[in-house]
Amino acid sequence: MAAELVTAVDVVMTVEQIKASQIGMKAIAAALAVGMTGIATGIAEMAIGTAAVGATAENKDTFGLVLLLTVIPETIVIFGLVVALLLLFV
Amino acid sequence: MLAPKQMSRLLIVASRDRMAPVVAELYRHHLFHIEEFVEAGAVGYEGFKIGTPLSGAGEASVDLVKIRAIENATSIHGDDIDSAKICTSTELKSRIERELPLLEKEVVDLMVRRSLLDTKVKENEQKIAEIRPFLTVPVDLDLYRGYSGFNVFAGYVAREVKLSVPCEMSYSPGKDKNFIVIVAPAGERSEVERSLQEAAFQPVQIPEESGTPQARIDYYSGEISTMKTEFDEIIKKLEAVRTKHSGFLVACEEFLKAEVEQNEAPLRFATTKQTFVAEGWVPSDRVDAVTADLVKATEGKIYVTVLPIDFEHDSVPVEYNNPSFAKPTQVLMDVYSRPKYTELDPTLMVSIVFPIFFGLILGDVGYGLILLAMSLGLRKFLKGEDGRYLLTVLRNASISSIIFGLLFSEFLGFAIPGLQPILPSRHLMVEHGSHGPMIPDLLILSIWIGVLHISLGRILGIINHARQDHGEHRTKAMLANFGWLAVMWGVLIAIWSIAALPLMPNLTGLPPVVSIVNYGVVIGGVLAVLGILLIARDSVLEVVELPSIISHVLSYARIVAVGFSSVAIAMVVNFISIGMLIQPQLENFSIFSIIVIIAGLVVFLMGHALNTVLGIMGGGLHSIRLHYVEFFTKFYKGGGVKYVPFGMKRRFTED
Repeated sequence: MAAELVTAVDVVMTVEQIKASQIGMKAIAAALAVGMTGIATGIAEMAIGTAAVGATAENKDTFGLVLLLTVIPETIVIFGLVVALLLLFV
Repeated sequence: MLAPKQMSRLLIVASRDRMAPVVAELYRHHLFHIEEFVEAGAVGYEGFKIGTPLSGAGEASVDLVKIRAIENATSIHGDDIDSAKICTSTELKSRIERELPLLEKEVVDLMVRRSLLDTKVKENEQKIAEIRPFLTVPVDLDLYRGYSGFNVFAGYVAREVKLSVPCEMSYSPGKDKNFIVIVAPAGERSEVERSLQEAAFQPVQIPEESGTPQARIDYYSGEISTMKTEFDEIIKKLEAVRTKHSGFLVACEEFLKAEVEQNEAPLRFATTKQTFVAEGWVPSDRVDAVTADLVKATEGKIYVTVLPIDFEHDSVPVEYNNPSFAKPTQVLMDVYSRPKYTELDPTLMVSIVFPIFFGLILGDVGYGLILLAMSLGLRKFLKGEDGRYLLTVLRNASISSIIFGLLFSEFLGFAIPGLQPILPSRHLMVEHGSHGPMIPDLLILSIWIGVLHISLGRILGIINHARQDHGEHRTKAMLANFGWLAVMWGVLIAIWSIAALPLMPNLTGLPPVVSIVNYGVVIGGVLAVLGILLIARDSVLEVVELPSIISHVLSYARIVAVGFSSVAIAMVVNFISIGMLIQPQLENFSIFSIIVIIAGLVVFLMGHALNTVLGIMGGGLHSIRLHYVEFFTKFYKGGGVKYVPFGMKRRFTED
């Protein structure tokens, strides 16, 4: 009887544990939001960056413009960061 | 302000013998943007031909080439030298005649000697490389040659060779390759060659030298070192030429460049046998002055008139017309594109808003001070105009960063003690008494900035279309821009009526129509639908772009997000260096602590240096991107021709 009770307490989580687990889930979600959007931005910037370096090698005047074109996909990771901030702090 | 400088199209006609004074006068004014004449049978220009250069063009060009060669050899660049008026043109002319040939001879002699020495050093090094393999064979080099009854083989083999014929052999195994020398009777040549081939023999040329290999190598090394001393002396002499004559040379270059440009100007004019016609652009407020001086220079034998501008076909050159504090921002405009003549010039707005965005992103007193020091310190090294302008932009941005740092109460990621943030707090760590990060407030603040910035862009779009377009298209385009505004504000009003948000008007209290739909939602919906109709009336395809309203407004959230990333990095650096390394060691001090504290200081310095660089990138690139991508796409096209007046800003010579 006593042994059964102990097992039951082990399986059922306390309120504190549930809260802690929720915070953990939030942290994982925030990490995924930033990490995956970061990868997406990286993939997008890869292609643009390659072309940008090529264009700059041919004509140095394009540097300013291609630098901008290269940072355009950063919007993706910034949205990820905003989502992460909202998850963690709001 | 907000518009480029007003230009007038000037037509100048005179007889060909007045060409020289006219060109000189135009060059001196540095105001006339020449419209190049092309022999393409333009209306009114039938029978005209491109002019020929004025006399003296050839000599000046030759001298200019000489000067540039000397400058190249002594690596003198005009941009690196502070401008100072060195002498007048007449003085310079006589000095060029007198000094240039001597100087040229001196430099050319030094250059020839230098390249000769360079080749000789290379030759000697080659010889040393050839002798080096023979070092292992204790035989004089002249003993390898001059036999009639014997053959000498020297080279590398993969493995040791065993010969069945009588011979003398020296085998010295090496790391990668083994060197072998064989002297065998001439009759056994084929046998030796066969055995060597089996051992993968690579022959080496026997040097034409006499004496022991070591002695020869020592001799050539000695030669090289004497040559290197002489080489250094030549470099020193060239350096002396550089220090002594750099002022004279840059002045010469400037003077001759002016001569050549003036002499070649007729190549851009239309001419007949007796007359020439020059067309070009002059700022409207200077037309009278230029005309009067031209008349004076030609004693009245000239016809100058202002032609009407045909905005459809003429490409009017664009010169910025900004107050002095907005001038540096022109660099950022030119990176995108110069405004068209008929377009609004947004430089002034960029010059105000860019530093504000930069400050909002990198609002930190510490970083602001570092960047301010950098922008002032780098002034010594950057002498070009564009570089100076960029530094001024950075200076303004860093001042704004300091101001916003005070408003956010941040110093290198720490909260400034005793100063409560006036703007919503960005401190990620909740410390005693301080507020945690106020993310919703900050995000909504950035959305507000986005909405207002984009609305301004759309209003400017309406103005631009009103100024540039004609007829039905004009009305449609203006209404389409209004439509974009209506959709954005309609959606906003609808959102305000459904949910109460901090820092935004609360319209949820309006009388309801059906369930949660109140009058606010209805008004917002009507505005949005009206907007969509207006957009579709101009171009149906544009409707596809509607979601860009949301993505562009949300894009301004980067102001908060990038700012936070910079705060977070600063905080992490502070935590690692002070919290984890320095503080615990100070509490329990021992000899070992000194090393850890130094490591902590290194982490602190490196971390903040990295964050400063990221701060410039983040603050600068993202603020300018918000302008280029989100703001300019609403109204700005650019593509104006740069105003390049004929003449030059003299830095070293006087006219």
